[in-house]
Amino acid sequence: MTEGSKTTFAITLVLAALGMAGAEATLWLAHFYVPVQITAGSLFVSEPPSGVNTLNLYESYRIFFVHLPSAYSTALCCGLCLVGGVLFLVTRNARYDALTVAAAETGLVAGAITLLTGSFWADFAWGTGKIGSGWNWEPRLTSMLILWLAFAALLALRNALPNVQARMKLTAVYGILVSPLYPMVQKAIEIGQVSHPRSFSDLLSAPEIGLTKVVATFGIMLVFAALVALRFAAHRFGHQLQQERAA
Amino acid sequence: MTTDQPIDRKPRPGVALLILLRRELLVELRTRSLLTSMGLFALLEIVVVGLGVRALPADETFSRFVPAVLWVCMLFAAVVGINRSALADRDKNLHAAFLLLPYDPTIIYMARLVSTFVFLSVVEAVQVVAAVPLLRFDIPREPWLLAVLALTNIGVLAPGILLASATSQARGGEALLTIMLLPVIVVVFMGAAGATDSFLGGLGFEGAQSYLLLLCICAAMFPALGLLLYGRLHEG
Repeated sequence: MTEGSKTTFAITLVLAALGMAGAEATLWLAHFYVPVQITAGSLFVSEPPSGVNTLNLYESYRIFFVHLPSAYSTALCCGLCLVGGVLFLVTRNARYDALTVAAAETGLVAGAITLLTGSFWADFAWGTGKIGSGWNWEPRLTSMLILWLAFAALLALRNALPNVQARMKLTAVYGILVSPLYPMVQKAIEIGQVSHPRSFSDLLSAPEIGLTKVVATFGIMLVFAALVALRFAAHRFGHQLQQERAA
Repeated sequence: MTTDQPIDRKPRPGVALLILLRRELLVELRTRSLLTSMGLFALLEIVVVGLGVRALPADETFSRFVPAVLWVCMLFAAVVGINRSALADRDKNLHAAFLLLPYDPTIIYMARLVSTFVFLSVVEAVQVVAAVPLLRFDIPREPWLLAVLALTNIGVLAPGILLASATSQARGGEALLTIMLLPVIVVVFMGAAGATDSFLGGLGFEGAQSYLLLLCICAAMFPALGLLLYGRLHEG
Protein backbone atom coordinates (compact mmCIF):
# COMPACT_ATOMS: atom_id res chain seq x y z
CA MET A 1 0.00 0.00 0.00
CA THR A 2 1.44 3.41 -1.03
CA GLU A 3 1.68 6.39 1.32
CA GLY A 4 -1.15 8.16 -0.58
CA SER A 5 -3.42 5.10 -0.32
CA LYS A 6 -2.76 4.85 3.41
CA THR A 7 -3.76 8.50 3.91
CA THR A 8 -6.94 8.07 1.83
CA PHE A 9 -7.80 4.90 3.79
CA ALA A 10 -7.25 6.68 7.13
CA ILE A 11 -9.38 9.68 6.06
CA THR A 12 -12.17 7.37 4.85
CA LEU A 13 -12.11 5.41 8.10
CA VAL A 14 -12.27 8.53 10.29
CA LEU A 15 -15.07 10.07 8.19
CA ALA A 16 -17.03 6.80 8.23
CA ALA A 17 -16.70 6.40 12.02
CA LEU A 18 -17.74 10.00 12.66
CA GLY A 19 -20.54 9.74 10.12
CA MET A 20 -21.93 6.57 11.66
CA ALA A 21 -21.90 8.14 15.11
CA GLY A 22 -23.54 11.29 13.73
CA ALA A 23 -26.22 9.36 11.84
CA GLU A 24 -27.02 7.25 14.90
CA ALA A 25 -27.26 10.39 17.04
CA THR A 26 -29.52 12.02 14.42
CA LEU A 27 -31.91 9.07 14.37
CA TRP A 28 -32.08 8.97 18.14
CA LEU A 29 -32.60 12.72 18.51
CA ALA A 30 -35.16 12.87 15.68
CA HIS A 31 -37.26 10.12 17.24
CA PHE A 32 -36.91 10.58 20.98
CA TYR A 33 -35.74 14.14 21.63
CA VAL A 34 -37.58 16.59 19.36
CA PRO A 35 -41.22 17.38 20.18
CA VAL A 36 -44.18 17.29 17.82
CA GLN A 37 -43.98 20.83 16.50
CA ILE A 38 -46.24 21.35 13.55
CA THR A 39 -49.90 22.01 13.91
CA ALA A 40 -52.57 22.30 11.24
CA GLY A 41 -52.63 25.65 9.46
CA SER A 42 -49.08 26.55 10.38
CA LEU A 43 -46.74 27.52 7.55
CA PHE A 44 -46.59 24.97 4.81
CA VAL A 45 -48.72 22.20 6.27
CA SER A 46 -52.14 22.67 4.72
CA GLU A 47 -55.33 21.50 6.32
CA PRO A 48 -55.68 17.87 5.23
CA PRO A 49 -58.81 17.12 3.21
CA SER A 50 -61.44 15.31 5.20
CA GLY A 51 -61.38 11.57 5.03
CA VAL A 52 -57.61 11.36 4.71
CA ASN A 53 -55.77 9.47 7.37
CA THR A 54 -53.74 12.15 9.12
CA LEU A 55 -52.53 9.94 11.93
CA ASN A 56 -48.83 10.61 11.28
CA LEU A 57 -48.98 13.96 9.48
CA TYR A 58 -47.81 16.09 12.39
CA GLU A 59 -45.00 13.70 13.24
CA SER A 60 -43.88 13.63 9.63
CA TYR A 61 -41.54 16.61 9.87
CA ARG A 62 -39.00 14.31 11.54
CA ILE A 63 -38.10 13.17 8.03
CA PHE A 64 -36.52 16.61 7.49
CA PHE A 65 -33.59 15.60 9.64
CA VAL A 66 -32.64 13.24 6.83
CA HIS A 67 -34.03 15.30 3.93
CA LEU A 68 -32.17 18.54 4.65
CA PRO A 69 -28.66 17.10 5.25
CA SER A 70 -29.10 14.97 2.11
CA ALA A 71 -29.85 18.14 0.12
CA TYR A 72 -26.76 19.82 1.64
CA SER A 73 -24.73 16.73 0.69
CA THR A 74 -25.98 17.00 -2.89
CA ALA A 75 -24.72 20.60 -2.86
CA LEU A 76 -21.39 19.41 -1.50
CA CYS A 77 -21.16 16.84 -4.32
CA CYS A 78 -21.96 19.53 -6.90
CA GLY A 79 -19.15 21.65 -5.48
CA LEU A 80 -16.75 18.70 -5.58
CA CYS A 81 -17.72 18.03 -9.22
CA LEU A 82 -16.78 21.63 -10.02
CA VAL A 83 -13.48 21.44 -8.11
CA GLY A 84 -12.60 18.05 -9.61
CA GLY A 85 -13.51 19.18 -13.14
CA VAL A 86 -11.54 22.44 -13.00
CA LEU A 87 -8.50 20.80 -11.39
CA PHE A 88 -8.51 18.01 -13.97
CA LEU A 89 -8.63 20.42 -16.91
CA VAL A 90 -5.81 22.48 -15.39
CA THR A 91 -3.50 19.65 -14.25
CA ARG A 92 -4.66 16.59 -16.29
CA ASN A 93 -4.12 14.51 -13.16
CA ALA A 94 -6.32 11.38 -13.09
CA ARG A 95 -6.98 11.76 -9.35
CA TYR A 96 -9.24 14.73 -10.07
CA ASP A 97 -11.25 12.66 -12.53
CA ALA A 98 -11.68 10.12 -9.71
CA LEU A 99 -12.86 12.95 -7.44
CA THR A 100 -15.46 14.15 -9.99
CA VAL A 101 -16.82 10.63 -10.53
CA ALA A 102 -16.88 9.86 -6.79
CA ALA A 103 -18.75 13.12 -6.14
CA ALA A 104 -21.25 12.40 -8.95
CA GLU A 105 -21.90 8.88 -7.61
CA THR A 106 -22.46 10.15 -4.08
CA GLY A 107 -24.53 13.06 -5.39
CA LEU A 108 -26.76 10.56 -7.16
CA VAL A 109 -27.42 8.72 -3.87
CA ALA A 110 -27.82 11.93 -1.82
CA GLY A 111 -30.09 13.45 -4.47
CA ALA A 112 -32.25 10.31 -4.57
CA ILE A 113 -32.65 10.39 -0.77
CA THR A 114 -33.54 14.11 -0.90
CA LEU A 115 -36.16 13.53 -3.60
CA LEU A 116 -37.64 10.45 -1.95
CA THR A 117 -37.83 11.85 1.59
CA GLY A 118 -39.25 15.12 0.25
CA SER A 119 -41.84 13.30 -1.84
CA PHE A 120 -42.91 11.00 1.01
CA TRP A 121 -43.50 14.01 3.22
CA ALA A 122 -45.17 16.09 0.50
CA ASP A 123 -47.61 13.29 -0.33
CA PHE A 124 -49.08 13.74 3.15
CA ALA A 125 -48.52 17.47 3.65
CA TRP A 126 -49.52 18.79 0.22
CA GLY A 127 -51.25 15.85 -1.39
CA THR A 128 -53.87 13.32 -0.45
CA GLY A 129 -51.54 10.73 1.02
CA LYS A 130 -51.45 8.79 -2.23
CA ILE A 131 -47.98 8.17 -3.69
CA GLY A 132 -47.13 10.99 -6.10
CA SER A 133 -49.97 13.27 -5.04
CA GLY A 134 -47.54 15.75 -3.47
CA TRP A 135 -45.43 16.18 -6.57
CA ASN A 136 -46.53 19.56 -7.95
CA TRP A 137 -43.77 20.41 -10.47
CA GLU A 138 -42.65 23.41 -8.50
CA PRO A 139 -39.31 24.86 -9.67
CA ARG A 140 -37.37 23.59 -6.65
CA LEU A 141 -38.67 20.03 -6.94
CA THR A 142 -38.17 20.01 -10.69
CA SER A 143 -34.67 21.47 -10.57
CA MET A 144 -33.61 18.90 -7.96
CA LEU A 145 -34.91 16.13 -10.21
CA ILE A 146 -32.99 17.65 -13.13
CA LEU A 147 -29.81 17.72 -11.06
CA TRP A 148 -30.31 14.06 -10.16
CA LEU A 149 -30.83 13.19 -13.84
CA ALA A 150 -27.64 15.08 -14.74
CA PHE A 151 -25.62 13.01 -12.25
CA ALA A 152 -27.23 9.85 -13.64
CA ALA A 153 -26.45 10.89 -17.25
CA LEU A 154 -22.82 11.57 -16.39
CA LEU A 155 -22.32 8.20 -14.73
CA ALA A 156 -24.31 6.16 -17.22
CA LEU A 157 -22.71 7.59 -20.32
CA ARG A 158 -19.09 8.42 -19.56
CA ASN A 159 -18.09 4.86 -20.41
CA ALA A 160 -19.36 5.32 -23.98
CA LEU A 161 -16.08 7.06 -24.78
CA PRO A 162 -13.45 4.42 -25.49
CA ASN A 163 -10.51 6.82 -25.20
CA VAL A 164 -9.59 7.29 -21.52
CA GLN A 165 -8.34 10.86 -21.93
CA ALA A 166 -11.45 11.88 -23.90
CA ARG A 167 -13.61 10.25 -21.22
CA MET A 168 -11.86 12.16 -18.45
CA LYS A 169 -12.20 15.45 -20.36
CA LEU A 170 -15.92 14.86 -20.94
CA THR A 171 -16.40 14.03 -17.26
CA ALA A 172 -14.59 17.21 -16.23
CA VAL A 173 -16.57 19.43 -18.62
CA TYR A 174 -19.88 17.87 -17.62
CA GLY A 175 -18.95 18.11 -13.93
CA ILE A 176 -18.42 21.85 -14.40
CA LEU A 177 -21.66 22.26 -16.39
CA VAL A 178 -23.66 20.38 -13.74
CA SER A 179 -22.31 22.37 -10.80
CA PRO A 180 -24.32 25.60 -11.38
CA LEU A 181 -27.50 23.54 -11.25
CA TYR A 182 -27.44 23.38 -7.45
CA PRO A 183 -27.38 27.16 -6.91
CA MET A 184 -30.33 27.20 -9.32
CA VAL A 185 -32.11 24.62 -7.16
CA GLN A 186 -31.42 26.91 -4.22
CA LYS A 187 -32.70 30.00 -6.06
CA ALA A 188 -35.68 28.17 -7.57
CA ILE A 189 -37.55 28.82 -4.34
CA GLU A 190 -37.94 32.45 -5.43
CA ILE A 191 -39.53 31.53 -8.74
CA GLY A 192 -43.15 30.68 -9.40
CA GLN A 193 -45.66 29.27 -6.95
CA VAL A 194 -44.03 27.90 -3.84
CA SER A 195 -45.24 25.30 -1.39
CA HIS A 196 -41.73 24.32 -0.42
CA PRO A 197 -40.59 26.01 2.81
CA ARG A 198 -38.03 28.76 2.30
CA SER A 199 -35.87 27.55 5.13
CA PHE A 200 -35.88 25.03 7.91
CA SER A 201 -36.00 27.83 10.46
CA ASP A 202 -39.58 28.55 9.32
CA LEU A 203 -40.71 25.75 11.56
CA LEU A 204 -38.16 26.08 14.30
CA SER A 205 -39.14 27.44 17.62
CA ALA A 206 -38.23 24.64 20.00
CA PRO A 207 -34.50 24.62 20.85
CA GLU A 208 -34.52 20.81 20.62
CA ILE A 209 -35.21 21.09 16.90
CA GLY A 210 -32.31 23.51 16.37
CA LEU A 211 -29.86 21.19 18.14
CA THR A 212 -31.11 18.14 16.24
CA LYS A 213 -30.78 20.01 12.95
CA VAL A 214 -27.12 20.85 13.66
CA VAL A 215 -26.30 17.26 14.67
CA ALA A 216 -28.17 15.89 11.64
CA THR A 217 -26.46 18.29 9.24
CA PHE A 218 -22.96 17.37 10.37
CA GLY A 219 -23.66 13.69 11.05
CA ILE A 220 -25.32 12.83 7.76
CA MET A 221 -23.02 15.03 5.69
CA LEU A 222 -20.10 13.12 7.21
CA VAL A 223 -21.68 9.86 6.04
CA PHE A 224 -21.80 11.20 2.49
CA ALA A 225 -18.28 12.64 2.78
CA ALA A 226 -17.10 9.15 3.79
CA LEU A 227 -18.89 7.73 0.74
CA VAL A 228 -17.10 10.23 -1.51
CA ALA A 229 -13.76 9.29 0.06
CA LEU A 230 -14.51 5.56 -0.33
CA ARG A 231 -15.49 5.86 -3.99
CA PHE A 232 -12.52 8.17 -4.62
CA ALA A 233 -10.16 5.52 -3.19
CA ALA A 234 -11.85 2.80 -5.29
CA HIS A 235 -11.45 4.82 -8.51
CA ARG A 236 -7.83 5.67 -7.70
CA PHE A 237 -7.16 1.98 -7.10
CA GLY A 238 -8.84 1.18 -10.43
CA HIS A 239 -6.65 3.70 -12.27
CA GLN A 240 -3.51 2.28 -10.67
CA LEU A 241 -4.54 -1.25 -11.60
CA GLN A 242 -5.13 -0.22 -15.22
CA GLN A 243 -1.73 1.48 -15.37
CA GLU A 244 0.03 -1.59 -13.94
CA ARG A 245 -1.75 -3.86 -16.42
CA ALA A 246 -0.79 -1.57 -19.30
CA ALA A 247 2.84 -1.57 -18.13
CA MET B 1 14.31 44.57 -49.73
CA THR B 2 14.36 42.06 -46.93
CA THR B 3 13.01 42.30 -43.45
CA ASP B 4 13.73 40.32 -40.31
CA GLN B 5 10.23 40.89 -39.01
CA PRO B 6 8.24 37.61 -38.95
CA ILE B 7 5.02 37.78 -40.92
CA ASP B 8 2.05 37.52 -38.59
CA ARG B 9 -0.40 35.24 -40.37
CA LYS B 10 -2.77 34.98 -37.45
CA PRO B 11 -5.92 36.99 -38.25
CA ARG B 12 -7.52 39.21 -35.67
CA PRO B 13 -10.27 37.50 -33.64
CA GLY B 14 -13.09 39.53 -35.22
CA VAL B 15 -11.88 38.75 -38.74
CA ALA B 16 -11.40 35.07 -37.90
CA LEU B 17 -14.94 34.92 -36.50
CA LEU B 18 -16.35 36.49 -39.65
CA ILE B 19 -14.39 34.08 -41.88
CA LEU B 20 -15.67 31.06 -39.97
CA LEU B 21 -19.23 32.41 -39.86
CA ARG B 22 -19.17 33.01 -43.60
CA ARG B 23 -17.95 29.45 -44.09
CA GLU B 24 -20.75 28.02 -41.93
CA LEU B 25 -23.43 30.04 -43.70
CA LEU B 26 -22.10 29.23 -47.18
CA VAL B 27 -21.94 25.50 -46.44
CA GLU B 28 -25.49 25.58 -45.12
CA LEU B 29 -26.74 27.59 -48.11
CA ARG B 30 -25.24 25.00 -50.45
CA THR B 31 -26.19 21.81 -48.60
CA ARG B 32 -29.22 22.99 -46.54
CA SER B 33 -28.71 19.87 -44.46
CA LEU B 34 -29.08 21.50 -41.05
CA LEU B 35 -32.08 23.66 -41.90
CA THR B 36 -33.82 20.77 -43.64
CA SER B 37 -33.31 18.27 -40.84
CA MET B 38 -34.22 20.71 -38.04
CA GLY B 39 -37.16 22.21 -39.93
CA LEU B 40 -38.65 18.89 -41.00
CA PHE B 41 -38.25 17.46 -37.52
CA ALA B 42 -39.96 20.51 -36.00
CA LEU B 43 -42.84 20.32 -38.50
CA LEU B 44 -43.28 16.59 -37.95
CA GLU B 45 -43.47 17.18 -34.21
CA ILE B 46 -46.20 19.77 -34.73
CA VAL B 47 -48.14 17.44 -37.02
CA VAL B 48 -47.91 14.57 -34.52
CA VAL B 49 -49.00 16.79 -31.61
CA GLY B 50 -51.73 18.34 -33.77
CA LEU B 51 -53.11 14.89 -34.53
CA GLY B 52 -53.03 14.00 -30.84
CA VAL B 53 -54.94 17.09 -29.72
CA ARG B 54 -57.25 17.58 -32.72
CA ALA B 55 -60.36 16.69 -30.74
CA LEU B 56 -59.68 19.14 -27.89
CA PRO B 57 -61.87 22.27 -27.71
CA ALA B 58 -60.15 25.58 -28.55
CA ASP B 59 -60.66 27.04 -25.08
CA GLU B 60 -58.32 29.00 -22.79
CA THR B 61 -56.62 25.85 -21.47
CA PHE B 62 -55.79 24.81 -25.02
CA SER B 63 -54.38 28.24 -25.91
CA ARG B 64 -52.09 28.05 -22.84
CA PHE B 65 -51.08 24.51 -23.79
CA VAL B 66 -49.94 25.28 -27.36
CA PRO B 67 -46.95 27.53 -26.44
CA ALA B 68 -45.65 24.79 -24.11
CA VAL B 69 -45.88 22.32 -26.99
CA LEU B 70 -44.01 24.76 -29.23
CA TRP B 71 -41.22 25.07 -26.67
CA VAL B 72 -40.85 21.30 -26.52
CA CYS B 73 -40.73 21.15 -30.35
CA MET B 74 -38.12 23.92 -30.44
CA LEU B 75 -36.01 22.24 -27.77
CA PHE B 76 -35.92 18.95 -29.67
CA ALA B 77 -35.32 20.69 -32.99
CA ALA B 78 -32.29 22.40 -31.41
CA VAL B 79 -30.98 19.05 -30.15
CA VAL B 80 -31.43 17.57 -33.63
CA GLY B 81 -29.55 20.53 -35.14
CA ILE B 82 -26.65 20.28 -32.72
CA ASN B 83 -26.47 16.52 -33.27
CA ARG B 84 -26.61 16.87 -37.03
CA SER B 85 -23.82 19.44 -37.13
CA ALA B 86 -21.63 17.34 -34.76
CA LEU B 87 -22.19 14.28 -36.98
CA ALA B 88 -21.22 16.20 -40.12
CA ASP B 89 -18.03 17.34 -38.39
CA ARG B 90 -17.22 13.80 -37.30
CA ASP B 91 -17.85 12.26 -40.73
CA LYS B 92 -15.54 14.69 -42.50
CA ASN B 93 -13.14 14.98 -39.56
CA LEU B 94 -13.76 18.72 -39.74
CA HIS B 95 -13.23 19.30 -36.08
CA ALA B 96 -9.59 18.24 -36.22
CA ALA B 97 -9.16 20.37 -39.36
CA PHE B 98 -10.67 23.42 -37.63
CA LEU B 99 -8.31 23.04 -34.72
CA LEU B 100 -5.34 23.16 -37.09
CA LEU B 101 -6.37 26.66 -38.17
CA PRO B 102 -4.31 29.50 -36.69
CA TYR B 103 -7.35 30.66 -34.70
CA ASP B 104 -8.07 30.54 -31.04
CA PRO B 105 -10.41 27.55 -30.38
CA THR B 106 -12.87 29.88 -28.66
CA ILE B 107 -13.45 31.62 -32.01
CA ILE B 108 -14.40 28.26 -33.56
CA TYR B 109 -16.84 27.76 -30.69
CA MET B 110 -18.25 31.27 -31.08
CA ALA B 111 -18.70 30.87 -34.86
CA ARG B 112 -20.54 27.59 -34.37
CA LEU B 113 -22.73 29.15 -31.68
CA VAL B 114 -23.69 32.18 -33.78
CA SER B 115 -24.35 30.20 -36.96
CA THR B 116 -26.48 27.57 -35.18
CA PHE B 117 -28.35 30.41 -33.44
CA VAL B 118 -29.22 31.87 -36.85
CA PHE B 119 -30.37 28.50 -38.23
CA LEU B 120 -32.42 27.71 -35.15
CA SER B 121 -34.09 31.13 -35.29
CA VAL B 122 -35.10 30.51 -38.92
CA VAL B 123 -36.54 27.11 -38.01
CA GLU B 124 -38.44 28.60 -35.07
CA ALA B 125 -39.99 31.27 -37.30
CA VAL B 126 -41.21 28.57 -39.70
CA GLN B 127 -42.46 26.50 -36.79
CA VAL B 128 -44.49 29.34 -35.29
CA VAL B 129 -46.09 30.07 -38.67
CA ALA B 130 -46.90 26.37 -39.14
CA ALA B 131 -48.46 26.22 -35.69
CA VAL B 132 -51.06 28.86 -36.62
CA PRO B 133 -53.22 26.53 -38.75
CA LEU B 134 -52.03 23.16 -37.37
CA LEU B 135 -52.33 23.91 -33.66
CA ARG B 136 -54.81 26.82 -33.88
CA PHE B 137 -52.05 29.04 -32.48
CA ASP B 138 -52.70 32.73 -32.06
CA ILE B 139 -49.34 34.53 -32.41
CA PRO B 140 -49.00 36.71 -29.30
CA ARG B 141 -48.30 40.45 -29.75
CA GLU B 142 -45.76 40.56 -26.95
CA PRO B 143 -42.30 41.88 -27.94
CA TRP B 144 -40.73 40.50 -24.75
CA LEU B 145 -41.31 37.00 -26.09
CA LEU B 146 -38.64 37.69 -28.74
CA ALA B 147 -36.16 38.32 -25.94
CA VAL B 148 -37.29 35.09 -24.25
CA LEU B 149 -36.77 33.25 -27.53
CA ALA B 150 -33.28 34.68 -28.09
CA LEU B 151 -32.16 33.99 -24.50
CA THR B 152 -33.54 30.45 -24.67
CA ASN B 153 -31.73 29.75 -27.94
CA ILE B 154 -28.43 30.91 -26.47
CA GLY B 155 -29.00 28.96 -23.24
CA VAL B 156 -29.73 25.77 -25.17
CA LEU B 157 -27.09 26.05 -27.89
CA ALA B 158 -24.12 27.11 -25.74
CA PRO B 159 -23.85 23.92 -23.63
CA GLY B 160 -25.06 21.84 -26.59
CA ILE B 161 -22.20 22.85 -28.88
CA LEU B 162 -19.68 22.33 -26.09
CA LEU B 163 -20.97 18.86 -25.26
CA ALA B 164 -21.34 17.94 -28.95
CA SER B 165 -17.66 18.54 -29.51
CA ALA B 166 -16.85 16.38 -26.48
CA THR B 167 -19.12 13.49 -27.45
CA SER B 168 -18.70 13.47 -31.23
CA GLN B 169 -16.07 10.71 -31.07
CA ALA B 170 -18.11 8.46 -28.76
CA ARG B 171 -19.96 5.29 -29.64
CA GLY B 172 -23.59 6.33 -30.22
CA GLY B 173 -22.60 9.97 -29.82
CA GLU B 174 -26.04 11.25 -30.88
CA ALA B 175 -27.88 9.47 -28.08
CA LEU B 176 -25.10 10.35 -25.65
CA LEU B 177 -25.34 14.05 -26.47
CA THR B 178 -29.13 14.12 -26.17
CA ILE B 179 -29.16 12.39 -22.79
CA MET B 180 -26.32 14.51 -21.38
CA LEU B 181 -27.65 17.78 -22.75
CA LEU B 182 -31.31 17.56 -21.73
CA PRO B 183 -30.79 17.70 -17.93
CA VAL B 184 -28.58 20.77 -18.36
CA ILE B 185 -30.96 22.67 -20.64
CA VAL B 186 -34.17 21.76 -18.87
CA VAL B 187 -33.36 24.67 -16.53
CA VAL B 188 -33.48 26.98 -19.57
CA PHE B 189 -36.74 25.37 -20.66
CA MET B 190 -38.15 25.98 -17.18
CA GLY B 191 -37.36 29.69 -17.51
CA ALA B 192 -38.73 29.89 -21.06
CA ALA B 193 -41.98 28.09 -20.25
CA GLY B 194 -42.48 30.12 -17.05
CA ALA B 195 -41.85 33.46 -18.76
CA THR B 196 -44.13 32.60 -21.69
CA ASP B 197 -46.87 31.48 -19.34
CA SER B 198 -46.57 34.73 -17.35
CA PHE B 199 -46.75 36.92 -20.49
CA LEU B 200 -49.64 35.00 -22.04
CA GLY B 201 -51.43 34.82 -18.69
CA GLY B 202 -51.48 38.64 -18.60
CA LEU B 203 -49.01 38.97 -15.72
CA GLY B 204 -46.68 41.08 -17.86
CA PHE B 205 -43.05 41.88 -17.19
CA GLU B 206 -43.53 41.91 -13.42
CA GLY B 207 -44.83 38.36 -13.39
CA ALA B 208 -42.13 37.07 -15.72
CA GLN B 209 -39.25 38.92 -14.06
CA SER B 210 -37.82 36.02 -12.08
CA TYR B 211 -38.05 33.67 -15.09
CA LEU B 212 -36.34 36.28 -17.28
CA LEU B 213 -33.60 36.57 -14.68
CA LEU B 214 -33.12 32.78 -14.78
CA LEU B 215 -32.91 32.92 -18.58
CA CYS B 216 -30.42 35.82 -18.46
CA ILE B 217 -28.21 33.89 -16.00
CA CYS B 218 -28.27 30.80 -18.25
CA ALA B 219 -27.66 32.84 -21.42
CA ALA B 220 -24.64 34.51 -19.81
CA MET B 221 -23.24 31.57 -17.84
CA PHE B 222 -23.37 28.79 -20.45
CA PRO B 223 -21.59 30.71 -23.26
CA ALA B 224 -19.00 31.93 -20.72
CA LEU B 225 -18.39 28.34 -19.60
CA GLY B 226 -18.26 27.25 -23.24
CA LEU B 227 -15.62 29.86 -24.07
CA LEU B 228 -13.59 28.89 -21.02
CA LEU B 229 -13.80 25.13 -21.52
CA TYR B 230 -13.77 24.67 -25.29
CA GLY B 231 -10.04 25.36 -25.63
CA ARG B 232 -9.21 23.15 -22.64
CA LEU B 233 -11.30 20.35 -24.08
CA HIS B 234 -9.31 20.31 -27.30
CA GLU B 235 -5.86 20.82 -25.89
CA GLY B 236 -3.40 18.15 -26.95
